[in-house]
Amino acid sequence: MNLIYTAIGFFALAALLGMYLLTFVLRGKETPKAIVFSHGPLAVLGVVLLIIYIARGGPNPWESLVLFVLAALGGLYMVSRDLTGRPIPKALAVGHGLLAVGGFVLLLVFAFGN
Amino acid sequence: MKTQSFWEATTPQRPDYPTLEGNLQVDVAIIGGGITGITAAHQLARAGKRVAVLEARRVGGGTTGWSTGNLYVPVGPYFHNIASTRSQEVANTVAQARFSALNFIEEHTRKYSIDCHFARRPWYFFTQEEDMTSLVEKEAEALQQAGMPAEFVTQVPGLRYESVKRAVHMDGQARIHPLRYVLGLAGGVTQLGGQIYEHTTVLDLKEEEDHCLLRTTQGTVTCQQMIIATHIPIGIHTVQTVAAPYRSYVVAMRLKSGAYPDAYYWHNDKTHHAITTHSTDSMELDMLMIAGNHHKTGQASHQEYQHYFDELESYARQHFDVASVEFRWSAQHYRSGDGVPYIGLTHKGAKRTYIATGFYADGLVYGTVAGIQLADTIAGEGSAWLEAFDATRGTNLSTVGEFIKENTNVAAQYLKDIPAGQVSHFDDIGLGEGKTIEVDSEKLAVYRDAQSQLHICSAVCTHMKCIVNWNNAEKTWDCPCHGSRFMIDGSVIEGPAILNLERKSIDPTTGHLLHTGGKTSGEREINNPIT
Repeated sequence: MNLIYTAIGFFALAALLGMYLLTFVLRGKETPKAIVFSHGPLAVLGVVLLIIYIARGGPNPWESLVLFVLAALGGLYMVSRDLTGRPIPKALAVGHGLLAVGGFVLLLVFAFGN
Repeated sequence: MKTQSFWEATTPQRPDYPTLEGNLQVDVAIIGGGITGITAAHQLARAGKRVAVLEARRVGGGTTGWSTGNLYVPVGPYFHNIASTRSQEVANTVAQARFSALNFIEEHTRKYSIDCHFARRPWYFFTQEEDMTSLVEKEAEALQQAGMPAEFVTQVPGLRYESVKRAVHMDGQARIHPLRYVLGLAGGVTQLGGQIYEHTTVLDLKEEEDHCLLRTTQGTVTCQQMIIATHIPIGIHTVQTVAAPYRSYVVAMRLKSGAYPDAYYWHNDKTHHAITTHSTDSMELDMLMIAGNHHKTGQASHQEYQHYFDELESYARQHFDVASVEFRWSAQHYRSGDGVPYIGLTHKGAKRTYIATGFYADGLVYGTVAGIQLADTIAGEGSAWLEAFDATRGTNLSTVGEFIKENTNVAAQYLKDIPAGQVSHFDDIGLGEGKTIEVDSEKLAVYRDAQSQLHICSAVCTHMKCIVNWNNAEKTWDCPCHGSRFMIDGSVIEGPAILNLERKSIDPTTGHLLHTGGKTSGEREINNPIT
C-alpha cells in the first residue's frame, strides 16, 4: 500500500497547484509556467506509481487510473494550447479538474475505504 | 554609449522598397530580406521564377547589417568537431560550400559593381596557451583534409602578440561591407524582375496541399513555395529545439598609429576573440573591430550587459594603440547541435516550406550557402550540399548531450516563471532601467525612460510564453528561451516571435492594470532604432 500512499501524496500536491492554476485560467490570465511545469510532472509521478501498483496484480483502483489518464490527456492538450498562444477553454480546465478530483476520490476510497 | 552598427552608419544611400498593399501571387515568397533571402531571391529570379521578398523592416537591417563583415571558410564550431559529430565527408562538403559561397560573393560584387569594399585577405588562427595548441592543430588538419590551404606558421603578421604557441594561416578569405553588398545584390534581384517589399510583416503562414498562403499586415501572398529566411524561422518549428540563440558583441575602434592589420584573426585562448579591420568609405582600412563574448540570449552571466562591451574594449587597449571607440553593437546567432546549419524543408512532411538557420556566428557565408542551395532545390537544379545541411535531420547520438543541455536550459527558464515579480513597486525602477514586475497576477515588462515615463508591456513572450529579461546595453527585452527580442514598446526586433508584446496600461491612482482588450499586433514600430 506504500505505493498508493505515495501516489496520493503526489496527487494531493498536484491538486493544490492545479487549483491555483485554475484561478488563472478562469480569470483569463497567463498561467505561471513554473506552476504548470510542476503540476504536470507531479501528477505524472502519481500516475506512474498507480500503474506500477496495478501491474503487481490483486485488487486495484483501475477506475481511478482511467480518470487520471483522461485528465492527463486533457492537461497535455491544455499545455499545448497554452504554449502556442491559443486560449485555454475554461470548460476544459474545469472538466480536467473534475476528472482528476474524481480519480483522487476513488483512490482515497480504495486506500482508506475499508 | 548607444549601440549602433558600423555598417548601418556607413551605408550612404538605401533604396526604399514599397510596402506590400493588397494581394500577390508569385512562384516563391521569401520572408526576410537579409543575405539569405536576397541571395535566394537573386538565384530564383535568375532561374526564371516569379519571386517576392517580404521584409518586416529594411533590407539587410537584421543580423546581416549587424555582423562583422568577414568572409571565411573556417567555422566557429570547428571542422574537426563537425567531422566528429557528423562525418569527415560532411565537414568537407561544408567547407566546399563555404568556399563556393565566398567565390559567389566576389563574383556578384564584380557583376553588379557593388561598392562594398570586397577584398581578399588571409585568416590566422592562433593561441598563446599551451593547452590550446592541440585544438589549433586539429582544426588545421581538418581544413587540410577538406582541401583548404591551411598551413602552420610561426608568426602572426600585423599583430604584436608575444609567445604565440601555435598558429595557422590560410589565404583567400575576404572582408566586405555586408549591408552595401546585400543592398547591391537586392538591386540585382529587381533587375532580374524580382519584387522586394519592406515594412511588410508576415503575420501568418500556411502550407496547403497545392500552395502556400502568407498573410501580411496589408495583404496576402499566394505562392508555390516559401522560404523562411528570418535567421530562425518565425512561428513554432521543431528546429527551435535544436537551434539555440546566442548573442555576441562587437566594438569598433580607431587606432592612433593608423596601422590597421589587413587580415582576419581568431585569437583562441581561454576566451575567444575575433580581430578584424574594415574601411569606412574607401578601400583604405580605418577601423579595428574586436568581436566575441558569446552568451545565450536573455541569459547574460553579468546582469550589467555593458560588461561584455567593456571587456572587448579592454582587450583591444591591451593589444592595440586605441585612439577612440567609435561603435558598439551586438548581434544574434543560432547554434545547431552538430555545428552544421539546418537548410532545407522545415520538417519531413513539408513539401513547400523551406528554412535556413543554425549559422553560428558565421552567417554571411552560410547565408549565401543557404540562398544558393534553397534556390537550386526549388528551381529543380539539385544541390550537392542537400544532405549535409538537411534541416530535418534532428539530433543524433553524438549530439544528444547538446540537445538535452539546451532544452533543459529552456525548461529551466520556464521554471523561473513563478508568481512573484522582481520588484514590488514601479518606484523601484530607476531612470533608464527596465524590470519585470507583477501586477494583478500579470507579469509586466516595465521600462522607465529618461523623462521618467513608464513604458509597459506584457512580459510574456508571444512565441512560446517565456518571461522576457531586460537587456540594459541595448534597451531591449530578450526572451531567454528561443531568442525573440522586443523593443521597449514591445515590437518584435528579431527571433521566432511574430506578434509584439501586448502593451499594457496602469491606473496611476490605484496602481492596477487597466483592461486593454488583450490584443496584440505584429506591426513593427517604424521609428525603432533597429531598422
